[in-house]
Amino acid sequence: MKCLVLVQEHMVDVAVVGAGQTKYGNHPLGLKGMWAEAAAKAFASVDGDFVADLVEEAYIGSLAFGGSQLGNTAALLTEHSGMDGVAVRRVENACASSGFAFRDAWMAIKSGQADVVVAGGIEKMNDLTPERKRYWLGVSGDTEWERLAGLTFPGTYALMARRYFHEFDSTHDDLVHVSVKNHLHGSKNADAHIQKEVSFEKAAGGFMVADPLTLYDCCPTSDGASCVVLAADHLAHKFTDTPVWVKGAGAASDNLALHDRPSITQLKATQVASSKAYAMAGLEPRQIDVAEVHDCFTIAEVLATEDLGFAQRGEGGRFAREGEGRINEGTTTVNSSGGLKSKGHPLGATGTGQVVEVFKQLRGQVEPNRQVRDAETALTHNVGGSGATCSVHVFGRHR
Amino acid sequence: MPGEIWMGYLLHHEPSFTVVQSPFTLNGERVFGADSDATTLAVAALLHRLDHDEVSMISVPEGIDGPSLSVATGVALYDHEAEQEAPWEVLMSDEAIVVVSKRDAPVEVPMLEVAIEVEAEFHAAIEQAWDHELSKGHVSQGAYVSRAQYDEAATPRLQLHGQLNGQTVVWPPRFSHVVDGSGSSNMRLQRRGKVLTWTTLSAAGAPSEFSLRAPVLGGVSTVLLQLDDGPNGVFLTVDDEEAILEMEAPMELVFRRLYAQEGFVRYGLKARAIHD
Repeated sequence: MKCLVLVQEHMVDVAVVGAGQTKYGNHPLGLKGMWAEAAAKAFASVDGDFVADLVEEAYIGSLAFGGSQLGNTAALLTEHSGMDGVAVRRVENACASSGFAFRDAWMAIKSGQADVVVAGGIEKMNDLTPERKRYWLGVSGDTEWERLAGLTFPGTYALMARRYFHEFDSTHDDLVHVSVKNHLHGSKNADAHIQKEVSFEKAAGGFMVADPLTLYDCCPTSDGASCVVLAADHLAHKFTDTPVWVKGAGAASDNLALHDRPSITQLKATQVASSKAYAMAGLEPRQIDVAEVHDCFTIAEVLATEDLGFAQRGEGGRFAREGEGRINEGTTTVNSSGGLKSKGHPLGATGTGQVVEVFKQLRGQVEPNRQVRDAETALTHNVGGSGATCSVHVFGRHR
Repeated sequence: MPGEIWMGYLLHHEPSFTVVQSPFTLNGERVFGADSDATTLAVAALLHRLDHDEVSMISVPEGIDGPSLSVATGVALYDHEAEQEAPWEVLMSDEAIVVVSKRDAPVEVPMLEVAIEVEAEFHAAIEQAWDHELSKGHVSQGAYVSRAQYDEAATPRLQLHGQLNGQTVVWPPRFSHVVDGSGSSNMRLQRRGKVLTWTTLSAAGAPSEFSLRAPVLGGVSTVLLQLDDGPNGVFLTVDDEEAILEMEAPMELVFRRLYAQEGFVRYGLKARAIHD
C-alpha cells in the first residue's frame, strides 16, 4: 500500500499544448505533404518555443487506405515533418486508430517514460479508383461472417438503425435532425469537408444507401491529417499559458461482429470507455460542455449520446429531435466541428482531429459563430468499426 | 403435379429417390436461380432424404461439389478405392433438376407445375457474372478470405454447428472455448430464426465479393436473425432478391452459393422467409 501511495504521488498529469490539422476533403497533397502540414500547424500552435527535436515519441494512427506507403508509414511521415530519429510507430484500430494513438501518447507521458509526445492520424482516401476503394469496404468488420453476409459499414449501421426504431420511440426523422445539425455546424468550420447546410427535406429524401440510411446519414470519404502535441505537467506551462488538460481517459473493446453482441442498439465499448474516463476526471456527463462524438452514420450519434450519458437509454432520438446538441442550445454541444458527417472522416485522422477541435474550443480559438460559450470541459469519442474498439478522453481547461 | 416447396425448391419424394427442381424456368426449361447450382439442389435433396433414411455414404457426379455437400450434410463421400459401391447416389440432369436416389433404383422425374418464368436478360447477366467470378484468375478485392480460412469455418458455416458453453449456446464457435475445454463444438443448431433487423445495401456499397452480381440484382439484402437456439447471425437473403422482410418474421436457413473466386465457389446458409 505504501508503494501504491508513492506511485500516485508521482503520477504525471498530461496536457495538450499544440494541435493542428489539414482541411478535410479532397486534399491535393499525398500522405507526406498532408502529415507535414498537420504537424507544422500543431507545432506552430504551441505558444512558447517549440522545435520538433523535443519530441521523444510519436504515435500515428492510420488504416493505410490510400495508394501509398503501406509498411513503416510512421517513419516515413516523421521524416517529412522534421522529427528525424523519433521513436515512432503506426497505430491501427480501424476508425479509432488515432483515438488510440492519443491514448498511447498519453500513457507514455503518464508512465513517466517521456515528457513530450506527438499523437496524430492520417488517411488518404480519394486517390483511389472506385474499384480500389471497394477494396476497403467492410475490412474492419468481422470479414469472415459479416462481409460474406453482404455487410459493409453502411449495412451494419443500417441494421442498428432499424432495430433502434423497432425498440424505441424513434424514426428516421430523428437521424435527419442529426444530419441537419452537423451540416449546420460544419458549414461554419473552415476545416470541414462539407461546408454547407442541408435542409430537413433534402436530408430526408437522399439516395438510399442501406435501407433505412440515405446518403445524408453517411459520412463522406475524406482525406486529412491531424496532429497534437502532448506534454508532461512540469513542461506544459513552458509551452503555453493555456494548456488543455487530459482529465480522464478510457478505452474498451467489444465483439467485432454485431451479431455476437447481446444488444445492437448500444455500444458496450463506449459505455465502458466513457465510464472509466468520467471516473478518472471526476465529472458527470452533464458537466461536459462540448463533445466530439463518432457519428460515422447518424444513428451512431444517436446511440453515442445515450452511451455517453447525455441522454437516457432510448432518448437519443428525442435528444436529436429537440436539438439538444446544437451549439449553445443544450447542456452539451455535440459535434461543434460538424462531426464525421460534415467535417469529414479521414479514418486514421479522425480521433486526433476530434482533439484538435476540443483543444481549440476550450481555448476559444474556433470561428466565433460556432464557439461554445464558456466551454470548460470537453470529451472526445472515437469508435473503431461498428463498436469493436472505443477510446474516450475527457479534457478540461483546468488541471 | 404441384410439388412440395422445400428450402425454396420444388420437391418430390418417393421411397427410393428424392427429386429437387428449381422453381425457375426460362423458355419452358428449369434453370437455376441467382444463387443456386446443382450442388445446392443436391444438398437440399439429401437433407430431405436424411429426414427419412439413414444415408451413410453417397457418390456424386462431376459437377457437384462433393466436399461442400459432405460438410453441409454430414454424409461421407464415396471413396473410389472402397470395396463396396455407395448405397446412395446423386443424379444430375441438363436442367436445374437433381435426384438423390438409392443406387440403381428406377427414377422417374415428375413434371411439376410450379414455374416462375425469369427474364432472359436477367438470367443471362447473372450467369455471365458467375462465369466471370468462377474464372481461376478472378480474385475479389477487399478483406480477402482465403480458402484455408473458409475451410476452417466450413462446418459451423454450412452445418450451423454451434458450441454449448455452460448453459449458453454460442455460434460461431469460439476458439477460446475449444482451447480451454469449456465449449463443446458438436451441437448442430436448428436452421430457423426470427428477424431482429434487416437492410438492403445498394449495389455501389456492396462488398467486392458481390460487385459483379449486385448491380444486376439491385443490391444485396442482409438479415440479422435470432436463431431458435439462441445465438444471432447475419445472413444474405435467398436468391439475392430484394426480399419483403418484416421484423420478427420467422425465416429458415438454406444452402446456397455466396460468391466465387479463384475457381472455387464459397457456399453458405442464406435466409428464406417461411410462408407456411
